[in-house]
Amino acid sequence: MVPATPLPISLIVTAAALLLPLLAFGVIMLATRSRHRLSAAISIAAAGLSLLAAVYLLVQHWQIQAPLVFQAVWMVSGQMTIPIGILLDPLSLLMLAVVAAISFLVQIYSLGYMAGDPGFGRYYGCMSLFAWAMLTLTVSSSLLQIYIFWELVGLASYLLIGFWFDKFSASEAGKKAFVMTRTGDVAFLLGLVLLWLQLGTLDIPVLTDPAAVGAKLSPGMITLTALLIFGGIVGKSAQFPLLTWLPDAMEGPTPVSALLHSATMVAAGVYLFSRLFGFFSLSPTAMAVCLAIGTISMLLASTMAMVARDIKQVWAYSTISQLGFMLMGLGAGSLFAGTFHLITHAGFKALLFLCAGVFIHHCGTNDMFEIGRQGGRRLKSALVCTIVGAGALSGLPPLSGFFSKELILSHLLDSGHPVAFLAAAVGAFLTTYYSFRLIFIILFPRDADDAPSTKSHDGHHSAGGERSMAAVLWCLAGVTVVLGFFQTPLHDFLARAGTGVNAAMPAHHSWLPVAACMLAAVAIGQAWLEFGRKKARQIGWVERIPLLADLFGQRWYLDRLYRYLLDTLVYRGISRLFTANDRRVIDGALDGLGRSTIGLGRVIDWVHSGMIQYRLMIMVAAVISLILFIGWGG
Amino acid sequence: MIVPLNHILLLSGLLFSLGMFCTLARRNLIMMLLGIEIMLNAAAVGFVGASLHWQQMEGQAIVIFILAVAATEVSIGLAAILVVYRRTDSVDPDMNAALWEKGGQR
Repeated sequence: MVPATPLPISLIVTAAALLLPLLAFGVIMLATRSRHRLSAAISIAAAGLSLLAAVYLLVQHWQIQAPLVFQAVWMVSGQMTIPIGILLDPLSLLMLAVVAAISFLVQIYSLGYMAGDPGFGRYYGCMSLFAWAMLTLTVSSSLLQIYIFWELVGLASYLLIGFWFDKFSASEAGKKAFVMTRTGDVAFLLGLVLLWLQLGTLDIPVLTDPAAVGAKLSPGMITLTALLIFGGIVGKSAQFPLLTWLPDAMEGPTPVSALLHSATMVAAGVYLFSRLFGFFSLSPTAMAVCLAIGTISMLLASTMAMVARDIKQVWAYSTISQLGFMLMGLGAGSLFAGTFHLITHAGFKALLFLCAGVFIHHCGTNDMFEIGRQGGRRLKSALVCTIVGAGALSGLPPLSGFFSKELILSHLLDSGHPVAFLAAAVGAFLTTYYSFRLIFIILFPRDADDAPSTKSHDGHHSAGGERSMAAVLWCLAGVTVVLGFFQTPLHDFLARAGTGVNAAMPAHHSWLPVAACMLAAVAIGQAWLEFGRKKARQIGWVERIPLLADLFGQRWYLDRLYRYLLDTLVYRGISRLFTANDRRVIDGALDGLGRSTIGLGRVIDWVHSGMIQYRLMIMVAAVISLILFIGWGG
Repeated sequence: MIVPLNHILLLSGLLFSLGMFCTLARRNLIMMLLGIEIMLNAAAVGFVGASLHWQQMEGQAIVIFILAVAATEVSIGLAAILVVYRRTDSVDPDMNAALWEKGGQR
């Protein structure tokens, strides 16, 4: 990356922000993995410096007018040149800051959470790998580069889900996540190849320029490639057909869930969509598909969350549902609504997961009823932060989720998709319901033993770790409370430099926030009736209908369906064919080779029988024929 | 010389063929050795005949030489056959590995 002109300062800063985590990863994995504290210090220092750099860039370029692109040639092959570079525009700057901030905070939190784990150094190594991949992904200037780092992020996710790989379910979950996201990535790669063949470039500024794309691609081709790329987004963001990997990914350590599976990595899919928003918006079909997929995922995941007992799984389902919500916003044609929700969601979902981590750390269980029984409500700061996060998730004013949700809802209303709007309203209702179900279950446990639990004092978590965890929680809670009021500046910022954000805000529906608040209030009321009240039996209305409870608890039988498909189609169909090929063709050919060699050996063996008389006979015959030859011929 | 050269050469060739047949056909090392002896002597007869025909004494000298070689060959050959017999309990020239293994390992 050495352009001829003197290096601009922002390029250096960006490169530093990107390369420091990579450096940390290398140093930790090669040298300091067994020295836990040093590894953590290196990783956190790198993440902190990245955060500083990202913030500096954000402040420096707040008044940015046109996207900054730094590119260098990475590879030349015949007519093709493959560039690698950095694209700085409001979207990537914002995302860079968000990713850097969340990963820095989560790494600090992990100091307390992961203390005493034998894989502490490896954990921080993987975290650094993730930070590097994700940060680079956000500022990539071409789709190919995004794809590369997209896969690296997937790798980091695989490593961290299967972090406790000696647990069978964890390694299985890692494999499942890897394979399922890869399924989507195949489509993504095909889309890239198609685009490359048609356009000859994968640079994002070119792709998002409607004139350039429209001149070279037919509308049908645009739709096809857009849908293929959308396949990758579906895999990464755990949307409808490929959503079952995310709940299983909760096998990883909780900070990992907070960082990767809620705030940043799964958001990479949505981020890619907003990155290519200009491209997608050329194809109304692709936008409609996006809206539909978002709606379906949102509703499915919220229903699953209503019956989950595992605290992390509730938040995992809600992540899927919120990502679906972002895609709805984007599909309805509003870049800002989707992106804004992405940012606010990153904050409050990380908060929720980290709080869940505190509960799990103290009670040693994931079951929310068990947590309630063990006195989870005595963990004051975690509880308050959970309530703040859940409020934001439910869209209660004045928390950040309220603003972004209203924005998406009003866009859906304006864009003329009444079905999607109604679905979003139902989804919001369900979201509020299951969030407060969780809170009431922890807050008002039945048959609680209020004796101070011994588990939290068994000495292996240090006070410093606890304090760092709490500090991170309060920090994120503060962001959650405040972020919503920055809607207008953020909108102006994103609208600059022509990233496709409409300059004008959508028409304001004054009744919408009120209605949404009413809806949320009703949902909270219902949750209170079923779980909060003194006499409540803590059984939700869904669980009273066995059919629904079964359906939701089994994740709409999606996993079963996949398992069935895998068994019949892959194992019995394709695998069998491959096995037959292996046995008959490959093994057969090798065996044949061996057998014919042996046969040839037998033939030669007959000549070399050790029988001296045969040799003599041959010798005599040769001499006689020589004599005859000379006698006649000569 | 009473006997014509042709007859002597015919006798020599006949003897040589007999010796060769013996060497090739008999499955017995001693008989093979005998066959070789017969072939050598057939050659010696040829030499004697030729020496008489052209009146040159070198042929007869070579016959003496051949007799010496034949004697040496027989003594060495019989000794070798004796060793083989001790090792394999047989004087069969078909020296398959199985036979060698039977008594070959000390």
